[in-house]
Amino acid sequence: MSPGARRFVLVGNPACRRVLLFQDALSRLGLPPPVRVSWLELVTGRANLSQVVQCGDVVRVESPGRDWAVEQALLRLGADAQEDPPYDRLSAREAAALAFERGRIHVPRQWYLGFRHALERLREQLAQCPPHIPMSDPGEIAVMFDKGACHERLQKAGVRVPETLGSPGSFAELRERMVLARCPRVFVKLAHGSSASGVVAYQSNGDRHQAATTTEVVRIHSELRLYNSRRVRVLTGPAEIAELVDALCRHRVHVERWLPKAGLDGHCFDLRVLSIQGTPRHGVARLSRSPMTNLHLLNGRAAMERVRERMRPGAWEAVLDTCRRTAAAFPRSLHAGIDLLIGPDFRRHAVGEVNAFGDLLPGIFHQGRDTYTAQIEAILQLT
Amino acid sequence: MAIYEYGARFAGKAVIDWDPETGIPDTEAAIYRISLSWDDSENGERWTDRFSKFLADPASSRVTGIVVGNWGGMGDESSQPVVEALVAARERLPELNAIFLGEILAEECEISWITQTDVSPLFEAYPGLEYFRVRGGNSLRIGTLHHDRLRELGVETGGLSRDVVHGIFSSRLPTLEHLELWLGTDEYGADTTVEDLAPLLSGTLFPRLRYLGLRDSEIADEVAAVLAHAPVLEQVRVLDLSLGTLGDAGAAALLASPATRKLGKLDLHHHFCSDETVAALQGLGMEVDVSDRQEPRSWGDGDHRFVAVGE
Repeated sequence: MSPGARRFVLVGNPACRRVLLFQDALSRLGLPPPVRVSWLELVTGRANLSQVVQCGDVVRVESPGRDWAVEQALLRLGADAQEDPPYDRLSAREAAALAFERGRIHVPRQWYLGFRHALERLREQLAQCPPHIPMSDPGEIAVMFDKGACHERLQKAGVRVPETLGSPGSFAELRERMVLARCPRVFVKLAHGSSASGVVAYQSNGDRHQAATTTEVVRIHSELRLYNSRRVRVLTGPAEIAELVDALCRHRVHVERWLPKAGLDGHCFDLRVLSIQGTPRHGVARLSRSPMTNLHLLNGRAAMERVRERMRPGAWEAVLDTCRRTAAAFPRSLHAGIDLLIGPDFRRHAVGEVNAFGDLLPGIFHQGRDTYTAQIEAILQLT
Repeated sequence: MAIYEYGARFAGKAVIDWDPETGIPDTEAAIYRISLSWDDSENGERWTDRFSKFLADPASSRVTGIVVGNWGGMGDESSQPVVEALVAARERLPELNAIFLGEILAEECEISWITQTDVSPLFEAYPGLEYFRVRGGNSLRIGTLHHDRLRELGVETGGLSRDVVHGIFSSRLPTLEHLELWLGTDEYGADTTVEDLAPLLSGTLFPRLRYLGLRDSEIADEVAAVLAHAPVLEQVRVLDLSLGTLGDAGAAALLASPATRKLGKLDLHHHFCSDETVAALQGLGMEVDVSDRQEPRSWGDGDHRFVAVGE
């Protein structure tokens, strides 16, 4: 089969921007539109990849995000999973009855369990398919969506990551761990949140407390509700910080030492690097005037080149090596979106997160190719 | 907003992050920043350990400046051990004429979380000190200085205590050319009023003063009003009221003063002035920085203006 005739099967949410951008890239390369399988149909059991994927197909899995029906279906799928310790959950019936509310954080641990279940189902279906070419791996996506598991995998692979304080069950437990680890500044993140969802940059010297967050806590009678906002709030009252952190802990958090970041153009920044086929390619510095650099696409950017210029050749080579090592920890994923933290001295670096769907980088090119074109070309060369 | 980047230069020289591996390659054109890195902080290494290693390099005896960066502790450990180590090293640093105590980024520790100490022993230990800057106002004590060489004194805070201001204004600093005080906000301990500035106004306190910076101040309008007709304005070449909450009232006072027109530079960046006022300031004739205009934020009981560097 010639590469031009190669068929792509795309699992995603049909109207999603990522899907459209990928289709555009196929079309620019003169390739036919992909066969699309929606997450909703997969999660609800109405579609089965084993009936779709044909011999020699390239199979790509896109983000299930930004679609309320899929969100709800994943929550229902996660409703039956039992685990210890128990995190906040909803019954399948309660999940089905939820109404969409912008920014609302429902039960992210349950969402993850549902997503992991759906990925497992995907893996089983793909195992029954004739020989095909996967662009990603359900099992590796599941690891990347679990910040604790991802951290552990990277550490084992010898990748420098911020020291973790694990998954405390409450603010009081977090405080104990911080004192024990002599760690006055931490990032508390939902173990299964994307972007800055449910992230708190918290610091305390014992007397004073300060927490920067985009998460809003709304109390309705006895119920606490969490919402994502785009506004960074700074809390200084220990009681309100405890309320927020306690609420997040009920959905499982992953806590890491807050490593100070380097600055550029009067902002701090992190570096998003997209590795494709194990090699770092696209990259961009994301600028911020809050501890959260991954807030949203509205934050300022700077070219990755600017960061490279500030680092000594050896230090930059070490960054690239870390990217390669990170990618190698996920050998069955064609691409990985790596968030790199660079120290204020522009010498040290660490990996903050790895994103399974970290390739939505509009306007960022590597050797003249956008992130989607580069991936398509890479997979076609493999075949 | 906060401080996210290190300065490239201090005391007229390039600042290089000291690294034990590369050592001290240049003492003519460069000075060195000694900070705890990620690894040092995690390993529990102290700033003073790192400084000892720095001193162990024979080239350190020719170093003219030291920038003290992050010393760890993030707020619960003061700079006192750092000051003591610097004082103890005075005979090993015979050329030292510049100290920046606490060039710490917001990502390392916000300015209002930095705990300083009594820094006056540094001035006694280093009679040749020409440049001194300090960042962080908590527990900062400078006292009353008598120093014959100091040319630059900069105190960067998110809230400066009037005790520090009183001490500086009671000091005898005959060679002081550059005085820069970041007054900050009362939320972080600023309690200096314009009355406290009285000793400065006559223009005789520091006879060689050429640069006066009263920056990052939430009383910038009042400060501008008292400076506008004070003799000190005729003494200095540069007036710097940047990073604060200056609005039309303070700017109008400056515009109405003949002394303003004789300045070499007027730095007002980060301000709340109207378009008309900005245009009038730009028409003054000399170098005027009116960049980074801010809009008041409104909530609760009305409009609020914020200084550039607070928390």
